[in-house]
Amino acid sequence: MWQNYLFPATVQEALEMLAAHGGQARIIAGGTDLVLQSQRGQCAATVMVDITRIPGLDAIEERDGYITIGCQVTHARIAASPLIRQKAEVLALACGSVGGPQTRNVGTLVGNVVNALPAADGAVALFALEAEVEVADADGRRWLPIAEMYAGVGECTIDPCVQMVAAVRFRPLSDGWASAYQRLANRKALALPILNTAVVVGLEEGVCSEVRIAVGPVAPTPFRAREAEAALAGQPPTPEAVVRAARLAAEAANPRDSVLRGSRDYRKAMVEVLVRRALTEAVTKAMP
Amino acid sequence: MLLEMILNGKSVSVEIEPGDLLVQVLRERLGLIGTKIACGEGECGACTVLVDGVAVTSCIYPAMKAHGRRVETIEGVAQDHELHTIQQAFVDHAASQCGYCTPGFIMSAKALLDVNPQPTRDEIVAGISGNLCRCTGYYQIVDAIEDAARRMGEGR
Amino acid sequence: MQLKAVGQGVQRVDIRQKVRGTRKYPQDFNMEGQLYAKVVWSAHPHAVVKRIDTSAAEAVPGVVRVITYRDVPVNEYGINVHDQPVLIAEGDKVRWVGDRIAIVVAETERIAAHARDLVQVEYELLPVVDDPRQAMKPGAPLVHEDRESNILKHIVIRRGDVEQAFAQADVIVEGYYTTHHVEHAYLQPDAALGFVDDEGRIAVISSCQWPADDLHQIAHMLDLPEDQLREIVPTVGGAFGGREDMYIQHLAALCAFVLRRPVKIVFDREEVTQRTGKRHPFYMRHRTGATRDGRIVAAQVELISDAGAYASTSIPVLGNAASFALGPYKIPHARVDAYTVYTNNAVTMAMRGFGATQPPFGYESQMDKLAEALGMDPVELRLQNLLDVGDIAVTGNVMTAETGAKETLRQAALAAGWREEDGHWIKPDLGTPSAPYKRRGIGVAIAYKNVGYSLGYDDKTTAKVELSLAESGEIARVLVKVAAVEVGQGVLTALAQIAADTLGVDVDKVRLALVDTTETPDAGSSSASRHVFISGNAVARAAAQAKEKWQAILRDETGEMHVEAEYTFHGRSVRPTTPFDPETGQCEPHISYSYAAQVALVEVDVETGQTEILKFWAAADAGKVINPIMYFGQQAGGVHMGVGYALTENYIQQEGRPRARRFSEYHIPTVMDMPHEFESIAVESAPDPNGPFGATGLGETPTLPTAPAITNAIHDATGVWIESLPANAERVWRALRAAHKL
Ligand code: FES
Ligand code: FES
Repeated sequence: MWQNYLFPATVQEALEMLAAHGGQARIIAGGTDLVLQSQRGQCAATVMVDITRIPGLDAIEERDGYITIGCQVTHARIAASPLIRQKAEVLALACGSVGGPQTRNVGTLVGNVVNALPAADGAVALFALEAEVEVADADGRRWLPIAEMYAGVGECTIDPCVQMVAAVRFRPLSDGWASAYQRLANRKALALPILNTAVVVGLEEGVCSEVRIAVGPVAPTPFRAREAEAALAGQPPTPEAVVRAARLAAEAANPRDSVLRGSRDYRKAMVEVLVRRALTEAVTKAMP
Repeated sequence: MLLEMILNGKSVSVEIEPGDLLVQVLRERLGLIGTKIACGEGECGACTVLVDGVAVTSCIYPAMKAHGRRVETIEGVAQDHELHTIQQAFVDHAASQCGYCTPGFIMSAKALLDVNPQPTRDEIVAGISGNLCRCTGYYQIVDAIEDAARRMGEGR
Repeated sequence: MQLKAVGQGVQRVDIRQKVRGTRKYPQDFNMEGQLYAKVVWSAHPHAVVKRIDTSAAEAVPGVVRVITYRDVPVNEYGINVHDQPVLIAEGDKVRWVGDRIAIVVAETERIAAHARDLVQVEYELLPVVDDPRQAMKPGAPLVHEDRESNILKHIVIRRGDVEQAFAQADVIVEGYYTTHHVEHAYLQPDAALGFVDDEGRIAVISSCQWPADDLHQIAHMLDLPEDQLREIVPTVGGAFGGREDMYIQHLAALCAFVLRRPVKIVFDREEVTQRTGKRHPFYMRHRTGATRDGRIVAAQVELISDAGAYASTSIPVLGNAASFALGPYKIPHARVDAYTVYTNNAVTMAMRGFGATQPPFGYESQMDKLAEALGMDPVELRLQNLLDVGDIAVTGNVMTAETGAKETLRQAALAAGWREEDGHWIKPDLGTPSAPYKRRGIGVAIAYKNVGYSLGYDDKTTAKVELSLAESGEIARVLVKVAAVEVGQGVLTALAQIAADTLGVDVDKVRLALVDTTETPDAGSSSASRHVFISGNAVARAAAQAKEKWQAILRDETGEMHVEAEYTFHGRSVRPTTPFDPETGQCEPHISYSYAAQVALVEVDVETGQTEILKFWAAADAGKVINPIMYFGQQAGGVHMGVGYALTENYIQQEGRPRARRFSEYHIPTVMDMPHEFESIAVESAPDPNGPFGATGLGETPTLPTAPAITNAIHDATGVWIESLPANAERVWRALRAAHKL
């Protein structure tokens, strides 16, 4: 399957290894998706550059007004992190719903994002958190809004044969803010979602100061329901207003028919249900 | 490539291919056939082993990731002729029928009890939610793990 | 006889090795000089194979041989009918994606896998028939071109005057119920190691259910006498009917035959999922009529089953389905028309229930519809109509001592909280749903099934019991030789318990010999819930004879140290069965029966359609319980399979192509999907005097009523009838949406 398996000691060394193999090498973290992609002929790279032993990339920390999560951090650690549970609950819940415990123990959030699937649980939560990713390449390191990483289904603008993502970060949810995660799947563990949604709500004096609604898979990338957000922002979150927003989200959603995971009809109808439930839950939590 | 690891308490070094998965190294190169392959895609837990105490599905785990790590397989759980408490509880509760899923469940149970010696029933259920069994309906497995935790608690 | 082992939770004889991981399954065996084989599968569900070019594959270094149809002495096999080519010949047809074109044998597994993709096959595509209802129409493309129609079998049952009886019924309910393809999903992928043994026999180590029948088919294929063949069955990682047909062992035998070297074949999960048989989908059109006071007067059903590309056991499965089509009820006027039809879908075969699993979804939905139409409690309606000892079934046979239907249902209902007051049954209070958009409901269902082979088939087991005596004359060790395959169900332990109590020795003195066709006599298949009854009888009787011989040795003081006895038990010796009468279907269908009644308490999310099972009660009467701990395991495992059948599992194909290809796409329930609480009730009200210690068989029955218990509970919660399985969230949501538009 592969010709070589390398452990760089620094980000710089990882990038040099990629460069040295001219497209034949790529970054591997947990590998829970990548191994299968390699076996199924969906990944041509033959040299694996494993970044899980580079020092300094394994932190979950709050600093300079951001929560930053290094690229080695697994779903299991995020799901269990008191910091994330307190200040970005939606992400803990999303990461806790991926696969089964063994996959969560190995698979990383950043890897999940780089895979660029539209219903990746962690990624949908990060869309609602308006996260940024830190890209490292020959030009150095810089932060990009997460949405800019997506080019289409399974297509990431980051080229893992040239670049790597070192971390993600987002603003912690402070008082008056809350989040919620809703997921529908054919069984309760070991299942990709039929539909998932992550919402973040800020409340100020009984009015929504900000609303963010992310949904997957209803578009080629995790989807922000902007009309729905706009309709609720500036309004008191009455049940009627929440229902209206949920309907707008469903109207804007454009899911595919999937033989295995559900029809377009069903998914579209479920956007309304899940978004309504998530908004209701987040609003309730955000109330003083 | 040379893979060096502490396998069931002993250091082992073995020459492998860079693309080998941990399960292949265990079964094919080291002859440890207790680790099973049922799905080959990380979806059933039959191949569960512990790496530095953490449960992983060895069928999608690149073997080189285990380099320099502590790896535990089902072969390392019992002490000689003495079954581990978890294994004995599986015996007593008939928590194994065809047995093909059993090593994976025992490794998941061990990973759980090693860090959470007195789990609730819900925590046990969550802890084995990445392991599939087609024979038992799971209840006797959950009972066995619950019982093992109790017995280990008494033994402490 | 004093029972010391039977009835006790004796430790499973194989379990210590299983928890240590030392028990070996076929993939765990390796031999010196062994080669590896990979199968080239058909790329299409229906096509003519124009040309097979193996040259590129053969040119790969490390490839030893590409085996094709030219290498097969007699290129056909099949469990009942030899209608499957082993390897498809040029000019012949592939009929489903599980047909095989060639086998690539190489020095390593990787080389074999790589070379397999280099075998070039030219196909001419043919129209695909993927729905048996279309396939049975005149003019449909023929799956087997030498037949006149795709209808493989039509069975009728006629009893009384149905038209007349419907005309007099006060209430008539109807329904059209469909079930889906289901994968066995045993955890151990099929594996086999073929080799030439020390005596020059073609041997295979394999996972299977019926070694003697495998040998029979392999003998035909290789044109060799059976004494030049051998099958060894170490440990089998689940079967559930899925290993009753051969999918791999004959291929390994063929490789060893051609190459005279050990050759190992291991399927990966995608091969197991896509290239092996499934449970039959059924299409069932029901009509049931009753009087106002709840007496069934007439019932009729048309069953159509999808046989897939080859016959396999579709005919006996249909026979079972026809005999159970209307449920364990007294029905004076009945009509059954049952068809099984070839298509280009997956071959369908035995799977836990063998034709008794699909009908309960139809007849138990009908019973709840009838209860609703009559305004009666569903338990009460059933109790009024269930068969009792001495009643006559739709096939005209008189129900015998092991008829435990009523008591099984009564115990399930009482455990679940039903009350009986003044002769009326009242369902329990269900408590408050956990959210405003959830509704609670409770559902009940009962089903029954045969134990042993039916409809005139000679069901038999031969067992040998060998005693080694101590100096004192006491029995030191007992060796039981019987080719009853342990697939996880616990047969070895149950037979050891039966032997121990028959002989009056401790169970740990009894050992079961490794199943090897050269050593262990034929015990039939690990199917039809039959081993405790048929093989248990054989072991008990062989043990009883051994005991007599041993007692004679003691009496006569001959000083012999070894005793042997062999007994062949025939089911017909206790109850001869007969085939369906071709015009009326009247017959004595089955040797014995067991019953299961179950209750599901569910909560349905009426916005998403998701169903959660809060509590589940499973009662079963399989006569005397041999081992209560294993009994619980069969109940829970059976319900697991029923929950998957009802809610999460669906082997989807489109135009004969698999769409649910692997475990990530075929969802058996995880521990989290099981009922939160589970109660198993061992009824033991109707022992069979012919069974060992009164036992019948439990392997299949607990799966049968699960799906209708759940869908009836969904109806109770929401008011909608679910007429197609699985009742996954989207299907329930659609039914709710359709109902609310009305
Ligand atoms: S075999 Fe590894 S998870 Fe199934
Ligand atoms: S015991 Fe057979 S799969 Fe679990």
